[in-house]
Amino acid sequence: MAFSSMAFLFGFLPAAVLCYYLIPARYRAGRNGVLLLFSLAFYAWGGLRLLPVLLANCLVSWAAGLLLAPGRRGRRAVFWTGVGLNLLPLLCFKYTGFLAENLNALGLKLKIPGLLLPAGISFFTFQAVSYLADVYRGTIPPERNFARLTLYTAFFPQLLQGPIVRYGDFGPLLADRRETVPEVSAGAVRFCFGLAKKVLLADALGTAANGAFAAGDRLSVGLAWIGSIAYTLQLYFDFSGYTDMALGLGQAFGLPLPENFDYPYTAQSAAEFWRRWHITLSRWFRDYVYIPLGGNRCSRGRHLLNLLAVWLLTGLWHGAAWTFVVWGLYYAALLAGEKYLWGGALERLPRPVRHLYALLLINFGWVLFRAGSLGQAGDVLSAMLGFAPGGLWSGEAEYDLRQYAWEWLIAVPAVLPVRLWLSRRLEFSRERGSALSAAALALGPKVLALCLLGLSAVRLLSSTFRSFLYFQF
Amino acid sequence: MEKFSQRAFLALLLAALLAVPGGTALWSRKDTAAYYENRTLAQFPSLTAEGLWDGGLGGDFEDWYSDHVPGRTTLLKLDTAAQLNLLRRPAVNEVVPAEGVLLPLLPYEEREAGEYAALAAEAAEPFARLSEWVRAGGGTFCYVGIPEQRAYFRDRYPAYLSAHETEISAGDAAYAQAMAERGVNFLDMGAVYNRQGRPENYYSAVDHHYSYYGAYAAYRAILDRLAAEGWNLPVLTEEDLDFTELPNPYIATRNRKLYNLWPNGERAVIGVQKNPVPFTRYDNGELSDRPLFVLPEEDYLPTTYNLYMGGDFGETVLETDRPDLPDALIFGDSFTNALETLLYASFNETRILDLRHYDGMSLEDYIGRYRPEVVLCIQNDTFYYLSGGNNAVWEEP
Repeated sequence: MAFSSMAFLFGFLPAAVLCYYLIPARYRAGRNGVLLLFSLAFYAWGGLRLLPVLLANCLVSWAAGLLLAPGRRGRRAVFWTGVGLNLLPLLCFKYTGFLAENLNALGLKLKIPGLLLPAGISFFTFQAVSYLADVYRGTIPPERNFARLTLYTAFFPQLLQGPIVRYGDFGPLLADRRETVPEVSAGAVRFCFGLAKKVLLADALGTAANGAFAAGDRLSVGLAWIGSIAYTLQLYFDFSGYTDMALGLGQAFGLPLPENFDYPYTAQSAAEFWRRWHITLSRWFRDYVYIPLGGNRCSRGRHLLNLLAVWLLTGLWHGAAWTFVVWGLYYAALLAGEKYLWGGALERLPRPVRHLYALLLINFGWVLFRAGSLGQAGDVLSAMLGFAPGGLWSGEAEYDLRQYAWEWLIAVPAVLPVRLWLSRRLEFSRERGSALSAAALALGPKVLALCLLGLSAVRLLSSTFRSFLYFQF
Repeated sequence: MEKFSQRAFLALLLAALLAVPGGTALWSRKDTAAYYENRTLAQFPSLTAEGLWDGGLGGDFEDWYSDHVPGRTTLLKLDTAAQLNLLRRPAVNEVVPAEGVLLPLLPYEEREAGEYAALAAEAAEPFARLSEWVRAGGGTFCYVGIPEQRAYFRDRYPAYLSAHETEISAGDAAYAQAMAERGVNFLDMGAVYNRQGRPENYYSAVDHHYSYYGAYAAYRAILDRLAAEGWNLPVLTEEDLDFTELPNPYIATRNRKLYNLWPNGERAVIGVQKNPVPFTRYDNGELSDRPLFVLPEEDYLPTTYNLYMGGDFGETVLETDRPDLPDALIFGDSFTNALETLLYASFNETRILDLRHYDGMSLEDYIGRYRPEVVLCIQNDTFYYLSGGNNAVWEEP
């Protein structure tokens, strides 16, 4: 079930909230039970066929976790068996087809299986692996309560697209948390803003991006740039919008989730971008792959190898296609380059140039990410560099600018920390006694949130273009 | 204030989230069609094991729920009004308001001009067979190609939008040439309208059809062409008709997609015969008392292009009981409707088929059974390269 669906907004969500808050706070297990039941229903909405994979993942994690308790024998074997069993469905569902296709390209004649990828499998598999690794390392104790571990894996706000949560942060809250009106209210505001990001901005810009990437021989230089920038913005508003909704819902149930974005398009280097984009995934790879491989506290050659491994896996995690592999390697090369080649020179450049450098590289990277094939990526990138079959400019490019003029106008400042800047100014002014600022701070976000919810609902009614991009991962 | 605003906000939000399902349960379950969208609303999904297993139930429920939200039409109308008047988008609901007319938003992708010759040859072949067969039976076949409104007003598109210029120029030309090369009597109304200076009032500004004036010009061109073939048929001249503008609001296909919000005062026109040729009418085999122009009972009630002959039927027969005149068969799309109100007056019996809806027998068998002396195919140019429907005129043995 998508957050941006009528069934979720005007059915599932109010039902979940009502059932949750009808149970007195002192019955914590009851409230957790409501969340668990609603989470399983949320996942099963996409088909009961999805549930066995999710439940098997929970069962393996729970059993392996218990066997990994300190003092038990064979912990190493149990850990790797647990990790292997959790990774197996991911590998089967996501990569079998890709592997078969490539083996067939080498001359074999394998049947390509048509397996439907269970939604969110990449996310809940990584959560399960992090749980097992943390128990194995002794960072957290194993969870004995199966329902709690299942709720950690299946908690519906973050089940499909993250953020990737650590049990060390989430588990204790299941036993002891407080839901307060200010938190619930702030969560609801954030949810509405996230919904608007997705429905009002990302989907419209996505239409422009889709047109450009499908232009083929009509692709002009202008259209290639507009399409790639539209996709860059679409991806941010889509994914960060979803994350805002997830974090808002978490807050509303007293279960705060980790931040996943920190204004990534304000980065001044590729390395900084990855500290601001999909933060929980970057941390996961850092903690469970990069550092165990030796991180950067090793020889240069080994460090480069580590970077290569991490980014190859990052690329493959996002999708089973060569475009994702190349995209991962692209970032490996950029990060290695910034570390060993041009990082020093970059830091001496004026800040606007560093921003431009980062934005250009990010934009080129998203072309690789979005393209359906390496050939298409090559076509769009070469068009951006001036080699376009459709010439310098085209009517299609102008249409994309005119048709989505309002989205462009709102999207560009919305990727910048304007909201932070504005609220700081208002807070400063409020502290100096301004009643207007106090009223604006108290009412502004809430009134805006209600308006955005209404606008988003109307847009949802009139639109069929509403699938979240990160579902495919 | 902060505390109050938080509680008030949460109360309002929850009320909004609950109002929609409550309203849907109370009021909206019985609606079956969306008038402005011209489609049937999704039905409440039935609970099946398969739907539960593969998630089809969830998707079907979402479709149903989205279609039955209370006030849906009002909300979408408001949204359209905002897109049109406030945000002033170049295209709203895939309709382009451009220089006094409403045009469809067309995809930029188009066939290459060079592709049309082969396609036209393929498309013309069945009509050539039909034409030969009609001629062999002593009759006359004429194919009347009529530009659709977007083709007629193609120069009104903003320069940055696609008018499908290649389709209209190269596609229509290749089609006409392919027909001519195969001996098909093809009347290109686009060329006729061009020779007449493409008068603005020949086409609707807000509908994809021509106006009654455009239909009348086509009627005269058809009779001229039949006269050139040797048919001496009675003609309804302009003096024989009263061209009357109806008082009713005209809900046209393009403006309908905009919830009729695009301001225009266009009214439908009918040509009332001063000395009407009486007829007996049959629709789909049943005796019918439908008149040529089906008008609303009150002036304030809206009307549509369907006022001409009452819309599309699989088969309509108009008998005028004048055995000295030839019989005719007309088949084609909705552009025939306005023409039928004129053409029938020139024949003894006029049979009208829309092969998109008629499935009684093949066209070949139909002509074999009723032996019409004049066979007319009337189609708009956006259908030239489609398969099936009124292009399925000859089945290969």
